[in-house]
Amino acid sequence: MKNWWKYVCVILLLYTIVMGFAGPIPPLNILEQSIRNLYFHVPMWFSMMALMLASTIFSIRYLSRQKIEDDIKASACAQVGFVFGILGIITGSLWARVTWGAWWVFQEIKLNGAAAALLVYAAYFILRGSFDDEEKKARFSAVYSIFAFVMFMVLINVIPRISNSSLHPGNGGNPGFNSYDLDSNLRMVFYPAVMGWILLSAWITSLIIRMQKIFRKIHQLDIE
Amino acid sequence: MLSNIFRLVKKEVQLEWRQKTALGTIFIYVIGTSFLIYLVFQGNITIPTWIALFWIIALFTTVNAVSKSFVKDANEQFYYLRSIATPLEIIFSKIIYNALLITILSLVIYLVMILFFNENINDKILFLVTIILGSIGFSNLFTLLSAITARTQNFVLLAILGFPIILPLLLLIVKLSGLSDFAIQQKDIYLSLGAIGLLDVITLILSVILFPYIWRD
Repeated sequence: MKNWWKYVCVILLLYTIVMGFAGPIPPLNILEQSIRNLYFHVPMWFSMMALMLASTIFSIRYLSRQKIEDDIKASACAQVGFVFGILGIITGSLWARVTWGAWWVFQEIKLNGAAAALLVYAAYFILRGSFDDEEKKARFSAVYSIFAFVMFMVLINVIPRISNSSLHPGNGGNPGFNSYDLDSNLRMVFYPAVMGWILLSAWITSLIIRMQKIFRKIHQLDIE
Repeated sequence: MLSNIFRLVKKEVQLEWRQKTALGTIFIYVIGTSFLIYLVFQGNITIPTWIALFWIIALFTTVNAVSKSFVKDANEQFYYLRSIATPLEIIFSKIIYNALLITILSLVIYLVMILFFNENINDKILFLVTIILGSIGFSNLFTLLSAITARTQNFVLLAILGFPIILPLLLLIVKLSGLSDFAIQQKDIYLSLGAIGLLDVITLILSVILFPYIWRD
């Protein structure tokens, strides 16, 4: 079975949706039923991060090998990452409304980091649109995406530790989920959910890459 | 290599000095913006607002000042420069020149802000250090990005590309500026200084590594 991981993805996501909405949850203050968003909101970010990392790796590979195939892959990863980022913001905003009382909370470096990530992606697409020459487009956008990835890592990893203002679990003195409420029931669904969503994002990306390659073949452009 | 870099920086300064209109434009821009903000805020602001405005003016001025740093070299000069200097020399000279320019412009903003608003930072030495470190970071980042955008005809692109990725540096600088006005613990200052220094080094390394890929035809 060549595409076994696609079957795994479907099964995991079916399991996530069924267990996510109907499965048992521990009794929690404030969070109540909204804890079910854990299976949807958090994996969106994990998928986006995975795609961002993949996009950066393909960009590095493009700069070292100069094959347009790597550029197609890098941009496909960025496109899907952008969509997952928006889904992460929407699910997160809903969750914030329920638990923190507002759609958007200012004293929250992670929200602002998320918005910055989406802006970086948007800038990346506009940069790609600004070039007519294909080779230049690939080269310059690869440079930008590597730079942006490193700065983004600094933004979400270093700044929260220094500014110490986050409402997220596990930050700024808040207890992390795993300390008390990520009990075995939640774990049973959370880990498969993360796997399932990441696989789905990889699946969508592979479809976009294939579409791009077919497009290039039809228009008789080289893929190598 | 060092003497080459020095010569290239000198070339930039001379070119800038010869075209005084370009230099004048950016100075008038700084003064005009500061004056506008003074009028809009009706002359009284608190220190945190002062700091925020200072860095926002500095950021926009940087974008405007740096955006043209590769435009001149986009066509005929490009081949000439390529034949006389290595990419490393080019990027170092541009970064040094832009850092100097941004530092001077920031100092002008600082003077204008002191003049208009009767507010000042307590620890002036630390604030000057912040300005210098911040200018270096701005220069590292925007010089590389301006090399990218110089090849497009899209002049707003530099701001679009730069703003989301300058964010970590900007947040740290604003924090350190706040600390230079009022710090409870000395430890916080060293932590912020270290973080900004580290970020300057990271952006410099990235620019130097990535520039050779841009500096090609």
